[in-house]
Amino acid sequence: MASTTEPTNLKKEEEEEDDSKPGAEDEDTGAQVAPIVKLQEVAVTTGEENEDVLLDLKAKLYRFDKEGNQWKERGVGTLKLLKHKESDKIRLVMRQNKTLKICANHLVLPTMTVQEHQGNDKSCVWHAADFADGELKEETFAIRFASVENCKSFKDKIEEITESMAKAPGDSEEGTAAANLIEKLSVESKDTEEKQEAEDAPVSSQDKKDETEQQEKIGSEK
Amino acid sequence: MALPNQQTVDYPSFKLVIVGDGGTGKTTFVKRHLTGEFEKKYEPTIGVEVHPLDFFTNCGKIRFYCWDTAGQEKFGGLRDGYYIHGQCAIIMFDVTARLTYKNVPTWHRDLCRVCENIPIVLCGNKVDVKNRQVKAKQVTFHRKKNLQYYEISAKSNYNFEKPFLYLARKLAGDPNLHFVESPALAPPEVQIDLAAQQQHEAELAAAASQPLPDDDDESFD
Repeated sequence: MASTTEPTNLKKEEEEEDDSKPGAEDEDTGAQVAPIVKLQEVAVTTGEENEDVLLDLKAKLYRFDKEGNQWKERGVGTLKLLKHKESDKIRLVMRQNKTLKICANHLVLPTMTVQEHQGNDKSCVWHAADFADGELKEETFAIRFASVENCKSFKDKIEEITESMAKAPGDSEEGTAAANLIEKLSVESKDTEEKQEAEDAPVSSQDKKDETEQQEKIGSEK
Repeated sequence: MALPNQQTVDYPSFKLVIVGDGGTGKTTFVKRHLTGEFEKKYEPTIGVEVHPLDFFTNCGKIRFYCWDTAGQEKFGGLRDGYYIHGQCAIIMFDVTARLTYKNVPTWHRDLCRVCENIPIVLCGNKVDVKNRQVKAKQVTFHRKKNLQYYEISAKSNYNFEKPFLYLARKLAGDPNLHFVESPALAPPEVQIDLAAQQQHEAELAAAASQPLPDDDDESFD
């Protein structure tokens, strides 16, 4: 099994870098066989060309299996928050190590709330309409980071994004609709929401009055 | 080669036959690649299960039709009938169970009777387990029979991409072929429905109280 890696090293590590095992086994002992296809090199498009990276962290992603009432691993790899240069849309994209396949690909919407995962301060949970397989699927995700700090960076970043979207909804119809939805939600779920930490539930009506303060705080951090 | 009822694709596809004793981790390995999950529960495969598995390479998208065959004799079904038109193969054994390695020559012989001159990878699975019965040095069969050998762990993902990468390179005759990022398409806008939103929040709260599997494992590579 791969050795425990310091969080500071995680960011810099290359995809291809191999772990603690000896490399001798990469020697080709296979028979000479004739190829059966001829493939041409093609241009590679990541789909991320017109986006800026807001966050880039190594992590392990899980999806919740409702039928089995259990978390199932989705992939280990690199999670990114990407902001489109023209549309300003922000999405979360995570790719599996080594195969570079997509394990998560969804928009960060104003309604997205990231909650702590009970019993593990390196992990958190959220819900999204995920497009990883090229079709929208409702998924409940959990993610585990290498450190408490990384988990906090992720949560803080998502909060910062969703708050600024909720604050300035005038740009798009979706934004307005979402903001209205948040208003409705906050009224209807007031009682339950009140029990939560202010930082976890910026949508509750109680927090409405705190919003200006929070915005200022975010502004001053920049 | 696809099953008759399986849709063909407009990019190169290959029939991959996966054989080896029961319980060595063939199905778990395939599942790991398909969904990312690690299945701990052992349910013997009956006959064969065929799964399409796509990879993105610098030479475009390719597909392996993985013929995940039964390892247990009593569930063998058509046995080497499944090997017909196989274009590449994986022989799996379990490094924590010596007998599964001893049976490798039999699997190899049966495979080669049906499929001549195809690239074959021998995989020693479960190398994450501390108490191995078959050490790396004791694995010599691949040298005698000209197979490629990889030590893998479906649990830790150690070398988990290597068998497919090796086979893809051999099938295309391109030693520089490598996996590349698949295009992350722009997710479509979604309608936010209030009722659905509330349901999601309830589900989220319930899910948050369920423990994550292998909480102790801290490796992300």
